[in-house]
Amino acid sequence: MVRLFFFEFRKHFMKKSLVIAIICFSLLNIAKIYSEYHEKSLLSSSANPEWQELYWNEIYEQFKGVMTDKKIETLMSIYKPLEQQTADKTASTETNNPNTYTGNLYNDHLFFKWNFVDPMEYAYMYKQYANDVVKTANENVSFFESLGNDYEYKKNKIILNRFQGRSIDSFSYTEMFQYYIHYDFSAFLVILICLYALMSVFVTEKETEMNVLLLTTKAGGQKTIFAKLFSASVFVIAISFWFGLIDFIAFASFFGSLEALFSPIYAIENFANTALDINLGEYALLSLVVKTIGFLIVSYLFLFISLFFKNALLPFIINMFFMFGFIYFQEAYMGSEQIIFKVINPFSLVVHRDLFGGTEFVNLFGFPILSYTAAILLGVIWGGIFLLAIFIFQRKNTIYRIGVKKRVDKVV
Amino acid sequence: MKVSFEGISKKYKGKWALKDFSSNLEYGIYGLLGENGAGKTTLINIFVGILKSDQGRVLINGRDVEKIGIDFLSHIGYLPQYPQFYKEFTVLEFLKYMSVLKGIPKEQGEKRAKELLSMVNLSEAKDMKVGALSGGMRQRVGIAQAMLNDPDILILDEPTAGLDPQERIRFRNLITKFSQNRIVLLATHIVSDIEHVANQVILLKNGELLKQGAPQKLTDEIKGKVWSITVTDDSLEEMLHLKISSMMRDDQGIHLRVIADEKPADHAVHVKPNLEDVFLYYSSEGEKW
Repeated sequence: MVRLFFFEFRKHFMKKSLVIAIICFSLLNIAKIYSEYHEKSLLSSSANPEWQELYWNEIYEQFKGVMTDKKIETLMSIYKPLEQQTADKTASTETNNPNTYTGNLYNDHLFFKWNFVDPMEYAYMYKQYANDVVKTANENVSFFESLGNDYEYKKNKIILNRFQGRSIDSFSYTEMFQYYIHYDFSAFLVILICLYALMSVFVTEKETEMNVLLLTTKAGGQKTIFAKLFSASVFVIAISFWFGLIDFIAFASFFGSLEALFSPIYAIENFANTALDINLGEYALLSLVVKTIGFLIVSYLFLFISLFFKNALLPFIINMFFMFGFIYFQEAYMGSEQIIFKVINPFSLVVHRDLFGGTEFVNLFGFPILSYTAAILLGVIWGGIFLLAIFIFQRKNTIYRIGVKKRVDKVV
Repeated sequence: MKVSFEGISKKYKGKWALKDFSSNLEYGIYGLLGENGAGKTTLINIFVGILKSDQGRVLINGRDVEKIGIDFLSHIGYLPQYPQFYKEFTVLEFLKYMSVLKGIPKEQGEKRAKELLSMVNLSEAKDMKVGALSGGMRQRVGIAQAMLNDPDILILDEPTAGLDPQERIRFRNLITKFSQNRIVLLATHIVSDIEHVANQVILLKNGELLKQGAPQKLTDEIKGKVWSITVTDDSLEEMLHLKISSMMRDDQGIHLRVIADEKPADHAVHVKPNLEDVFLYYSSEGEKW
């Protein structure tokens, strides 16, 4: 079986064209991350070269780590005068002012506001915000308990537990993670590579007329289908992890920092309401795993559809249609209250910020299930259905293998 | 080893692809001869278990293959019609893959693959990509893969289709080489493929068995029914309604080889029948020429 798996992997995934596609897409991905850095980072060397130097060489060292009153006072002693001087927009606009950090007062103001004051304020205030959530959840627990509304009671109990004791004690540079966890381009590339690679898995046998020959060998039936699915899964996992690794390394190296690796996930503002209580490093790993599950499910759908065709072009187009359909529905229901439409879409596991960014629930037989748990469960069910469908429909070709009770009526 | 087909029938969309086909095969080469659509591939597909017959059964040494189960597959080696194989695999890699599919242990499979490559004269090409092989080379790889499990029954479906004359002869010789102590069932519509190598010929037409016998016996059966007539260009037109199996032009005129129960022309003379004549005689029986 191991050898069969190796040959299936070799047959479909160790092709020159595919290797070239992976290399090209990897380079494209790196280029895209590089451009993300230059377009979006406040500290990019092209947009604000003086900010980068100032931040890393002078200011960050003073304020990073546990936020103390002394650090906040020091920051405010720098920031408050800048705020006052720039408030009425009458300050000098000269860019070589020697009494400033960056050469310009407005620039100084924005530098401190965006890089230190706003993020530190968010971090500082988060504890209060979480306490407010806990307080409201606590009130709701009592209220719904008195009403006998078991579902809402349980839901608020979960919220209470999740938000209790939350605080962001340390300040760290989160910009890299901010953009890293909002980056989806590599997911699109992975889907395209999977689509290209997987189309040949079943179709090749028909194109080469090997399907007939396979059926006259001992392992050419279900064992081969199993080896195909296993090798396809390994490929998808490998590609997902490869691009995940590229994303992480490229973001870390272009942004030049992994400072927030151990900061809690809610240190990123878009994740203030997350139900997760893990650090950003753990989230990066979780994100990759969930994304990979999403890729696997979508890939099984691609494989299932390809079963019905004798050449790769048509299933490629149909699968593209499905893929864009998933993307469209995901976009349509992003941020929507209709959570079921989010979780039912397997693509929501691929681009999953909406699932992890908030604390939303799905009512499963009266039990409140967190939306990401529901999405993963549903995803696994989808995957199971697609795999089963592949075995059922491909079984037409393989009944003979099972014990020659019946033979097939038609060679597919 | 004895293979028996007992009343095999298969219908497609109301039309018989194979009708009540019965035959017994023992060691030797069996030429399954018929026009395109005669039912050769249907018979082979039923034999190798790809198709389900509507009626009838296949027996190996008296045992129904359906009862033998998957072990039946270790008895057969099969070369399908128009195989492309995998372009990206090297020849040796492909044979190793087929060994895995046939359940042959690794070392044994590799050894056997190399032996067979030597036998089919492809040792030099073992590292070539399958996609870079000529049609003839690919067919030799095909027969090598069929022989990997040292089968008792070798089934070849139109193995010479698309090959040039030299490759066709080479392939024919290979079949003879591999036919020792096994049953070879060779389906073709090209008479010359089997004329000199087949121990028995099975003639199929419209899914029905027309004749089975040794080539000599079959040709003897139509003795006196094959004629040679020499005509000129002017008189050729008058002869075209006859069953003409071949034409040859030389200084004396055009020599027609004609199949007819009665003397077709005053100057017609008997000639010794060959297998092509037999094929034409039976396959065009009842048809207007």
